Amino acid sequence: MELTAFRNKLFAEGESLGLTDIELYYEKQESFSCQIFKGEIDEYESSTVNGVSVRGLYNGKMGYAYTEKLDEESVQFLLESVQENAVLIEDEPEEIFSGDANYKEVDYFSPSLSNITAEDKIAFLKEVEKKIYAYDPRVVQTDYAAIQDQSFEKELFNNKGLTLNDRNNFLSIIFSVVVKEEDEIKSDFYFKITKDFDSLHADEIAKEAVEKSLSYLGGRTYPNKNYPIVFKNSAAAALVSTFVSSFSAEAVQKGQSRLKGKLEEKIASDQVSLSDDPFLPDGIRSGTFDSEGVPTRKLTIVENGKLKTYFHNLKTAKKEGISSTGHGHKPSYKETIGVSPSNFFVIPGEKTYKHLYENLDEGIIITNLAGLHSGANPISGDFSLAANGYYVKDGEIVGPTNLMTIAGNFFEVLNDIEQVASDLEFSPMGGSGYIGSPSLKVKHLAVTVD
Amino acid sequence: MLNKALIENVLSAALTTGGDFSEVFVEDRYTNNMLHQGGRLEKSLSGRDFGVGIRIFKGLQSVYAYTNEFTEEGLLKAARAAAQAIEGNNTEKNIVLPMEKQSLLSSHPIQFMPASVEKSRKLAVLRNANEIVTNYDSSISQAILRLREEEQHVLIANSEGTFAEDKRVRSLLAITAVASDGNDMQTGSYGPGAHKGFEFIEGLDLNHYAKEAARSAVTMLHADPAPSGKFPVILDNEFGGVIFHEACGHGLEASSVAKNNSVFANMEGEKVASDFVTYIDDGTLTNEWGSINIDDEGEKARKNVLIENGILKGYMIDKFNGRRMEAASTGSGRRESYKFAPTSRMTNTYIAPGKSTPEEIIADTEYGIYAKYMGGGSVEPATGDYNFAINEAYLVKNGKIDKPLRGATLIGNGAKTIQKVDMVGNNLGHGAGMCGASSGSIPVNVGQPMLRVSEITVGGREAK
Repeated sequence: MELTAFRNKLFAEGESLGLTDIELYYEKQESFSCQIFKGEIDEYESSTVNGVSVRGLYNGKMGYAYTEKLDEESVQFLLESVQENAVLIEDEPEEIFSGDANYKEVDYFSPSLSNITAEDKIAFLKEVEKKIYAYDPRVVQTDYAAIQDQSFEKELFNNKGLTLNDRNNFLSIIFSVVVKEEDEIKSDFYFKITKDFDSLHADEIAKEAVEKSLSYLGGRTYPNKNYPIVFKNSAAAALVSTFVSSFSAEAVQKGQSRLKGKLEEKIASDQVSLSDDPFLPDGIRSGTFDSEGVPTRKLTIVENGKLKTYFHNLKTAKKEGISSTGHGHKPSYKETIGVSPSNFFVIPGEKTYKHLYENLDEGIIITNLAGLHSGANPISGDFSLAANGYYVKDGEIVGPTNLMTIAGNFFEVLNDIEQVASDLEFSPMGGSGYIGSPSLKVKHLAVTVD
Repeated sequence: MLNKALIENVLSAALTTGGDFSEVFVEDRYTNNMLHQGGRLEKSLSGRDFGVGIRIFKGLQSVYAYTNEFTEEGLLKAARAAAQAIEGNNTEKNIVLPMEKQSLLSSHPIQFMPASVEKSRKLAVLRNANEIVTNYDSSISQAILRLREEEQHVLIANSEGTFAEDKRVRSLLAITAVASDGNDMQTGSYGPGAHKGFEFIEGLDLNHYAKEAARSAVTMLHADPAPSGKFPVILDNEFGGVIFHEACGHGLEASSVAKNNSVFANMEGEKVASDFVTYIDDGTLTNEWGSINIDDEGEKARKNVLIENGILKGYMIDKFNGRRMEAASTGSGRRESYKFAPTSRMTNTYIAPGKSTPEEIIADTEYGIYAKYMGGGSVEPATGDYNFAINEAYLVKNGKIDKPLRGATLIGNGAKTIQKVDMVGNNLGHGAGMCGASSGSIPVNVGQPMLRVSEITVGGREAK
């Protein structure tokens, strides 16, 4: 069934069943990806999928349902499910937004990116892979050498007359390089998201990907103790992304955030400011309206260490008698409305990454974190994470450490940030917004080296 | 779902550019998710996933396309477009499937299909669990209960004549208790799941599961920070098996073995673990969370012995990686949904029971860490380096369990850790989890009896 016909049928039948407000959220995603292995195409994938989510108010309560099959049978399934779910729900009612007069007019879709042919993308992939093998004899092989592009379209309709649409696209590449020296095997990956294919240079990528892996060869153990820490930008972004839910008003109102009651208070050192910018030209979460149809806007969350606001959707904002900050978020049509940042980042300072460690007598640089989904408690802020990195002595990088753990508490880390570098980078991890940070120097953390 | 003639046409269209294998995977899935939090039902969401995945092989090249299209025209178009990625000679093939679908007698009987049970009965179970958790102790601030149910109906056909249907029904209740003393907040959780219908949820012994989650949260509120250093570590049964899931399981999957991206590649017949270790992946265990009748390539589930008394016996292999390895499928091809091409994955993986009693293992340990409940973790298959979190840990002193510890993470190398298993208990148990990898997030069991590793690096906040 065509979307318009499906919508008309759904709204008409829903109203006749006694649903007062009805919303239809449509999402379409197209993707292409290709992986190569030793010069040959190994995996090739293409897709077109869409799905719809329906919310409806029934007896004053909101019910949800979704489907990926747009047929008549699904209209009935959706409406019955919405009713059944609405009857049981015990939460405060959500509202369906009737719309705003002001939406920014920006199209985040890059037509030039979508015009790049599969052949060009595959040729680029092969070129980088070839350069990776040629770069150093210690390269054993790649674990992944892949390129992917994705485009998204979303449309939001409700029976109050609101109609909105938005689209975005981006391309990503990943190269994971395995290197070996004697019996020691090391591997790390290079990942990049961009909207500009021409900005990718095969030589630079191959160099960075291989050197990253090589830099971990010759790892040594060091005493277990507290060290001054420098988080390299991507590791800092990964750490921040793990604790982003603390800034959500939903978590605060449910008693699941340590930032509860801290508005206008200092929660971080003076060096720390955090901004959420839904209009970043290259942001993968850029858009002009949120999942509830509320216009998005740029927001300062933390200013020189002081907490200025939480992220709000319509429901959390109503509870506090304020307006939504435009952060109502549905990760996909398969989910309900929650709260999430858009493009959220630590505002960069002026110092270089090198400046952060060149005055240290002794310290550890963290370049990579693992186990973020298991070794961190997003509520308490406690973490104990596997990490890779380097040992620093007298301001110089001595060499890689063996696998480490670093342990501490995120909220203490915020207060212990002594310097912020200028090298803002966004993390590929995390479903909760597109999170970025420059490199950060932290007073100290407990380090255990294997 | 889709009719036979249509599937035959799609399989044939996919081979027009010289592919040597084509496959159609059709999925129609009903899901129900309910979230009960802070004493009330906050979310109740029903949905229907529907889509088709078309896969083509030519030698060591694999092409995958997926769509929600279900018209003949749309599917043929998708198949032909996918075929364009194959650079071969134009050929005409006419795939003919067997008259009858492979009739499967399910090895996993289901009593109550989730979609057929009224949600008010489900809410009653959630309310009961909420009561038990919140009444456990005054420091419990709330219970978070997630019910997740699904009926996944799949149809799998390929150009080699496979034509099979299967229905997978799964139910899981994740119980999280939050304990707070004003400043600090700690959580405890338990998440029983099975390849069963609503009978599993209604039959759960909540007095055990909900109370354990609450007890764990309260215990952790009063726990000391874990020490740092290398210690003997005792891993309890059930979900304790997650360490071997990460440390060995992933490295025994053909997805990393086929390209020699695993420390276990080319090690068949070699000693890779201590004599105490026998490691098995068994998709046939009746009604277990990770069990299947057939895998997502239409191959019958089976019991695969991976390591026997320390000797590597075999790998988990899917059709595509099997080509590179010149080895047959082991019924291990799995995927989250039609949105993923299948690859080799685990089902129910466990360490076989040994002879020691849990009491003997504790009594034999002079100074070490006892990990009662494990959290999740991850591994880098190329190197075997793993990490995982302990949710509830204790210090062991002079053969006795001492004070509780929090914030402990274990790190190490899988290939080394399995050589250091020095005691294996007799109390095999399984725990339900979700495993994420290239073919998506799939239900798996991890399992083991209580066992001891002579040395693992523990990363805590107390440097020692």
